[in-house]
Amino acid sequence: MSTTSSPTRRSLLKTAAASSLILPTGAIFSPAIAQRRDRIILGTTQEPVQFNPLLYVNAGAENIPEACLFDALWDVNEKGEFIANLAARIPTRENGDISADGKTWRINLKRDVKWSDGQPFTARDVEFTYQTIVNPKVAVRSRSGFDLIESFKRVDDHTVEIALSRPFVPFMWAWQNMHIVPHHLLSKEENINTSGFNAQPVGTGPYLLKSRTAGSHMVYEANPNYHRGAAKIKQFIHKFVPDQLVAYGQARTGEIDYLGVSGVPFDRWGEAAKLPDRTFFPLAQPWVQFVYFNCGKPQFKDPKVRRALYIALEMQKTIDDVFFGAYKRTLSYLHTSHWAYNHDLKDTGPNPQLAAKMLDEAGWKVGADGVREKDGVKMKFSMSTTAGFPARQATQAIFQQNWKAIGVEMEIKNMPASVVWGEYTTKSQFDTLLVSWEPTVGMDPDYTARAHSKMIPVKTGSGSNYTQYENAEVDRLLEDGVKQTDQAERKKTYARIQEILLEEVPFGPQGGVFQGQIAHKSLQGIKPNQYVVDAAWNVHEWSWG
Amino acid sequence: MSGDVLSYAFWRIIHSIPLVIGVSIIGFGIMHLAPGGPLAVYTLNPTITVTDIERIKVALGLDQPIHVQYLTWAKAMLTGTWGFTFFGGRPVLEVIVERLPATMVLMGTSMALAMLIGTAIGMLGAIRRHSIFDYLATTGAMLALSFPTFWFGLMAIWIFAIQLGWLPSGGMYELGEEGNPWDLLRHLVLPTMVLTLVLVATWSRYARSSFLDVIQQDYIRTARSKGLSTRAVLFGHAFRNAVIPLVALFGVQLPTLFSGALVAETIFSWPGMGRLFVDALNMKEYPILMGMIMFTALFVVVGNLIADIAIALIDPRVKLG
Repeated sequence: MSTTSSPTRRSLLKTAAASSLILPTGAIFSPAIAQRRDRIILGTTQEPVQFNPLLYVNAGAENIPEACLFDALWDVNEKGEFIANLAARIPTRENGDISADGKTWRINLKRDVKWSDGQPFTARDVEFTYQTIVNPKVAVRSRSGFDLIESFKRVDDHTVEIALSRPFVPFMWAWQNMHIVPHHLLSKEENINTSGFNAQPVGTGPYLLKSRTAGSHMVYEANPNYHRGAAKIKQFIHKFVPDQLVAYGQARTGEIDYLGVSGVPFDRWGEAAKLPDRTFFPLAQPWVQFVYFNCGKPQFKDPKVRRALYIALEMQKTIDDVFFGAYKRTLSYLHTSHWAYNHDLKDTGPNPQLAAKMLDEAGWKVGADGVREKDGVKMKFSMSTTAGFPARQATQAIFQQNWKAIGVEMEIKNMPASVVWGEYTTKSQFDTLLVSWEPTVGMDPDYTARAHSKMIPVKTGSGSNYTQYENAEVDRLLEDGVKQTDQAERKKTYARIQEILLEEVPFGPQGGVFQGQIAHKSLQGIKPNQYVVDAAWNVHEWSWG
Repeated sequence: MSGDVLSYAFWRIIHSIPLVIGVSIIGFGIMHLAPGGPLAVYTLNPTITVTDIERIKVALGLDQPIHVQYLTWAKAMLTGTWGFTFFGGRPVLEVIVERLPATMVLMGTSMALAMLIGTAIGMLGAIRRHSIFDYLATTGAMLALSFPTFWFGLMAIWIFAIQLGWLPSGGMYELGEEGNPWDLLRHLVLPTMVLTLVLVATWSRYARSSFLDVIQQDYIRTARSKGLSTRAVLFGHAFRNAVIPLVALFGVQLPTLFSGALVAETIFSWPGMGRLFVDALNMKEYPILMGMIMFTALFVVVGNLIADIAIALIDPRVKLG
């Protein structure tokens, strides 16, 4: 058959070879990327889409443009202390800026600050920021703390006076979390939600946004007139690498100088710590991972039952086996390293025998099918979290076994994030959740929104007490805590709150979340700060050593 | 002929308007009927109370009845901005258009290579049916189709970027090299290789079966019996007929040129439409998702139209209209 004649085959093979991309080896070899000392490349897996510091949603990635471009009145440092930024000093009772009753706050502003377009920064900007935050037409992400403001007065160009409806010590955090936006540009906007400013922002921060390549990176140049001194590194590049493993690979090859926010995958921590020319450090994130019990469901009404279910769980084992020991066991909603953590709390689990005994005592007896029941209600429930998160699924599987051993049946019911954290959570439709959450007002130990009985959204329409937990003593302590200015006194109040919460377990803490950060060894000035989610919080101090 | 083609194209486009409107209604409906929504992302932020979320719902217009939301969206779609994104407040059209070039470069290169290589492999497999090459090609295609793209992607990165250090592991340009064609080429190699591998597998299978069909026809036997050379038989008689189904396949695949590759773009940090879609889906960013659905729908219509016209040009038996 002539169809098999060799010229045809050869010509076809030639066509195939010519059209395929056979790797030209030497020609495209690129030497290891040389470290450039005039720029820093920070990588995150997510891409910021909103650069207006009042409107962004995605903490972590969107904190980066915020830290580069804008300033808050004050920041919080790695020790948890407030340090003045746009404010001339931190308001306290001692310096007279906070009134004796704690309700009037006077904030003095720096005088030498300019917006990057050259306009002066004044009290009008702070007032406008406040007005925008409380403007119902603007999709501001949070009003937490600002809803307590009764009146806002511009005393002069560099002083504002704020009257609160009640004393609220965590008010400091409200301003730390909200960066100041320019009045002279945004006040002219008809609709701030869709303003061009959100993509082309003008701020007072250490860097100026030079260019943005969608899906790839953003380039910033140091602001030469920055009021805290120009940043030492001339160019700051924020690069987006969506896959965590690939991002880690780029941190190894030098394509990224600092991998923040999402960090090194847990199973690579050992390897990352040994890399030459790289600094690896586990950084405490504000979140604590919990098992949330819906106290509104018949199975979880009794605190003793919740406690029994909690102590049956192998919390440390899940941390070791699933999270490679990267999380740190905590018994409260705070990390053990937080100043307000109660170190007298005792871990009594895992103790399945005691758990079984407590359930028996509470009237939940093992039925014919091996599952406990009481008054016709079976001890059967579901546990939900974001689907497609293997570490959490593995944790759930261990919990499922732990509970099965004491006659409790748990079904894993994971859903996409947009489903599980929607009304399923906010309207308390869940049975139990596996979730990581940070404190509610910055890193202040205040936990009113999550634990006060007036904060149950399905009952009161406000707050985020999704477990529907109610305890009169906790309510009273939470109310006291936000009024106390003496830290030692506050510590006692929150210690007692943590003690009660551990006893009654509306949410069972598992571990404080850590992320593995990796940076080039010569990069100086990075201060790991567990009080912020913002990897670039002190970017103006970074330098190449 | 050209007048016929234009009038045919015009009427086809007019007829597809109800189809596109139907797609938009179904797309919008399904998106809003699916559980969860864009506001869930706010729940994860503990400083945001339920009251805040309700307020944001009103600010974004999500409290309106669904038909009102649809009409608002349709109006924006027809008047140019295609609506504004929820989380950046930017015009959707702008967000989509800035991602298009990256996707078109990657998908265009990959599809062109896949068509060439796939057709060549398929053709050779057909004329040398049951040969070692044919078996290898079949097995290779099955393997390429069976392994997930992300695995190929990670392997390619591990070997060529991390172990050998020959090629960049991701992105479209080295920082500061934007617009440099040589740099773009270096960055294109790995993602194109991975995408082409998968696309070649599909194309070669179609090409093989199409060529097999054709070379078994009587007119091929007649051509051979006339004493024509294999080359003349293959390219003069068989090729034109065998590519007709492939042109139809091209028409169907054309929209992916614009919709992008979801997995490959994520693995290789390629700043294209596929990643935009994944990000928008995670955030339930309805305006972007709707914009992309409409974009794809338009290209399905256009792709099929081009394929039909191309087939009519290749095959004189087919008449337009």
